[in-house]
Amino acid sequence: MSQPNGTADAPIEVSSIPTVVGINFGNSYASISVLTKEGTADCIANEDGERQIACAIAFHGEELYIGNQAKHQLVKNSQNTITGFRNLLGKKFSEIPVNALSISAPVIQHPEIPDAAAYKVKVLQASPSPLPTTATNTPAASAAATPRSEPVQAERVLTVSEVTTIFLKSLIQSAEDFLGKKVQGAVISVPGWFEQAQKDALEKAANDAGITVLQLLEEAGAAAITTTTGPQPEGLNADRTQLLVDLGASALSLSLLSIRQGLVHSLATLSDHSVGGDAIDDRLIKHFAKEFTKKTKTALAVCPATDAQDKRAEAKLRLALEHTKRTISASPGAATCSVESLKDGLDFTGTITRLRFDMEVRAVYDRVAAKVQELVAAAGLDLYDVDEVVYVGGSSSLPGLDEALAQGFVETVVTPFTQGTVVGGGAGDPTTILARGCALQARILAQLAEGTDEEREVKASFTHGHQYTQAKVTSKTVGFLFPEEGVESALGGQWIPAILKETPVPARRIVTFDVDLGEGAGEKKVGFEVWEAKEGVKVEKVKLPKLEDEEPAEGEEEEEDEEEEVKEKTVEKENLLASVSFMATQAKKKGARWTTRLELTSIVGEDGTLEIGAVEVGASGRGEKTVVRVSAA
Amino acid sequence: MANVVELPVVPPPLLAGWTAPQGSGKSSAPLVERKLLPAGEAYLAHVRRAVHNLTFEEHDKHAEEERKRLEALNGSGAVIEDDLGVGDEKEGADLLLLDPKEWKKQDHYAVLGLSHLRYLATEDQIKIAHRKKVLKHHPDKKAGQVGDANDDAFFKCIQKAFEVLTNPERRRQFDSVDPYFELMQDDVPTQSQVTKHKHPEKFFFEGFAPVFEREARFSRKQPVPMLGVYEDSKETVEAFYDFWYNFDSWRSFEYLDKEVNEGSDNRDDKRYTEKKNKSERARRKKEDTARLRGIVDTALAVDPRIKRIRQEEKEAREAKKKGKGAVNGAGGANSKQKAEEEKQKAEEDAKKKEEEEKVARAEAKKAKAAAANAAKKARRAQRVAEGGDAA
Repeated sequence: MSQPNGTADAPIEVSSIPTVVGINFGNSYASISVLTKEGTADCIANEDGERQIACAIAFHGEELYIGNQAKHQLVKNSQNTITGFRNLLGKKFSEIPVNALSISAPVIQHPEIPDAAAYKVKVLQASPSPLPTTATNTPAASAAATPRSEPVQAERVLTVSEVTTIFLKSLIQSAEDFLGKKVQGAVISVPGWFEQAQKDALEKAANDAGITVLQLLEEAGAAAITTTTGPQPEGLNADRTQLLVDLGASALSLSLLSIRQGLVHSLATLSDHSVGGDAIDDRLIKHFAKEFTKKTKTALAVCPATDAQDKRAEAKLRLALEHTKRTISASPGAATCSVESLKDGLDFTGTITRLRFDMEVRAVYDRVAAKVQELVAAAGLDLYDVDEVVYVGGSSSLPGLDEALAQGFVETVVTPFTQGTVVGGGAGDPTTILARGCALQARILAQLAEGTDEEREVKASFTHGHQYTQAKVTSKTVGFLFPEEGVESALGGQWIPAILKETPVPARRIVTFDVDLGEGAGEKKVGFEVWEAKEGVKVEKVKLPKLEDEEPAEGEEEEEDEEEEVKEKTVEKENLLASVSFMATQAKKKGARWTTRLELTSIVGEDGTLEIGAVEVGASGRGEKTVVRVSAA
Repeated sequence: MANVVELPVVPPPLLAGWTAPQGSGKSSAPLVERKLLPAGEAYLAHVRRAVHNLTFEEHDKHAEEERKRLEALNGSGAVIEDDLGVGDEKEGADLLLLDPKEWKKQDHYAVLGLSHLRYLATEDQIKIAHRKKVLKHHPDKKAGQVGDANDDAFFKCIQKAFEVLTNPERRRQFDSVDPYFELMQDDVPTQSQVTKHKHPEKFFFEGFAPVFEREARFSRKQPVPMLGVYEDSKETVEAFYDFWYNFDSWRSFEYLDKEVNEGSDNRDDKRYTEKKNKSERARRKKEDTARLRGIVDTALAVDPRIKRIRQEEKEAREAKKKGKGAVNGAGGANSKQKAEEEKQKAEEDAKKKEEEEKVARAEAKKAKAAAANAAKKARRAQRVAEGGDAA
């Protein structure tokens, strides 16, 4: 036992996890995500214990508040608190719409730089250093007046870029404190509607904050990474259509994405700055203000508030509502909203049930639902074609929204609510989904080699608008038809879709399944046809009590209580491309029937050439491959 | 990797009248331009295929290599401790059900997963093995698991085993009566087994080599001369037997002592037990020495090398004599030779007789030991097989 217990050397830590982070930088809230040992991404809390970090900075005297602390400054110190600065990035002052009602520091024209937006805040500057002293420690003779030893009031003008830099720096600081290591790079999310100038401005601000930006990733892309990485929910195909509902505090943005084995492109996007969490807040503030007036007989005019006192009360309510909304999202019971000294020194405590809450914000939900309809229609699809709904943003955690949207989708549609992954940092947690996607993307980018020209080209392809992001996709679904007798569908057989429409080329899909070969022991032939199909959704209006069929009336908006829309997915044969048939040699008997296992490989080339390869896979190995090719148009 | 989707569908058999229709000659629908989101692994794969101009199969191969490279990278990066060949032994159900109160009966090496090393295990190896077992069986690890969370019996066994094996004195005591070798101890070829074997020479070396190897570990003097081969010189063989007849063994039998009742006030009682233990130890030691001597005796009796050496000596003598006889004349040599021959004959007769007696005795002993031996052999074979598996 002469050996010491350990060595004095620090453990050599050769980690395969690059210290990169993902930052979701929203207009109202931001979140940071890091990579875990298990290879997943995890949203971390900042030093205040907040995973949802408010995008706000406030100056108060000599202090600088960042994040949720700054938000509280909106009550008493709103003129020195800056919020909502992300959306102003990269914009000229003349482009910014004049917002009459600002709850925070107003945007002004920068005094020196022409046509630049800026904020003016009052700060206390630290007192100037005392005058140089002589050897005898007495002030040197000077004609100047003795400077004041107290901090002096000063005005500070900050550009939007500077504000962003301050904020991002604090985010990275939080991440570094958490990791205990220097952050080597970050992927930052940007909304899809960001223009190049805005992206440039954000990148510059991030670089000023000392962040190596690996990529500015579109929010839709970030959400898609999170939903396509890791274990997939039951019943969800790798080829699917995903509806992304991003209901943030200040805007709604919708995307309809075509996800084809992880390759994502957008079918349609839409954004609306008039709905969002703030709109929900406004309604709730009105509701609680009314309740307050009823309870205390004190008038409180909010949204819009004109009086200074009312404004302060509104700000207080707005802060308190954050908690109320979270409670409503997390539990099915009632939620409280309590504010001390709301107005005239009167405290307020109110409760709201889920039902009442949903009633109050019904208009917002309906608007979102209408926008979703609009989006899907713009893509030329039906709600019924959506396989998965993904929610992003704090406001979309509200269960009422999912319920309001649920109508019109397939019953099997996958939403984070049906999966139960909304709360507690689950895979579908709307508040962290973007940050986690960014972190996963950051890992991919951090692991890219840069040795050869080709590798550099691969890396470059992740920049915005690179040529490789331009891709061709198929326009028709291709599938296999196994003819069958006596089926009522128009196809006349069993339909197995192989390559869905909107699949980027080159694409390869391999499916494998058993084929029934009948009971006879004689020759066994396998054969099928390859068709291009037209997919659609048949909408029928069915009167519920009588079950009377009506003419399908699309676009008919008026709805009666007794009428219900019955939708059905349809497939029509459109274009016979090829047919394949061969003798089965590896058939095996299962029960009384003979079956064989078939592996069908479909490849669409860069130019659209279709290649179908059929192989029998038996216990004794693979059979001979039968290949047919269909040339492109 | 190619992503193969398994479908639950089973298409029906072909229609009787179905013939493959000719493709309409039409080409597939034209492609549409779309803008991909540069995100995720799939996009990376897509770009890689485009940049390197790869087909799907080539890309699969590429991806596989990349995966292996990363794995190797992570593997070398991760801190993998060298376990000095301790490895992981399978823990049988009976092992896990051991009673810590009966720790004297347990096989400490098996408990720590060192049964493939046994007395060869170094101190470091024992430490590593103990650590491994503790990490697996610590009661804290079992909290929240199904079953009895308070069941720390096996953990106690591990601690006891570690306690015994890390103390050199106690380890020596345990090694002296290691149950694994105890089982094999009596598995020594008998004289008749060797002589009656088809290839006695081969059997002798095959049968006795492991016996001496086993016994060698008890020697205070190291290295120990091993059985060797048929071609060994007279000196080597003599040195071998010389060493083994003067074998200095450290083997002791304290481990089998009866527990002295410490709680008892009765001094006589204690002394009595101690005395008994002491005599028992001495008896066992004596038995062990006799046993080893018996083994060496048997080996010497049937050693083909001794026969060979005698033969060689005889031949040498004869050759010498022949040379002498030619010089001295035949007469004197003849009478001398005759006398010698007679003497030799008598000697041989006696030897024969003795041998026969010995064989008879061995036979009887063999018959008696046959049943026990058979059982023991079976057990040993099983043990060896198990040991082989574990190793």
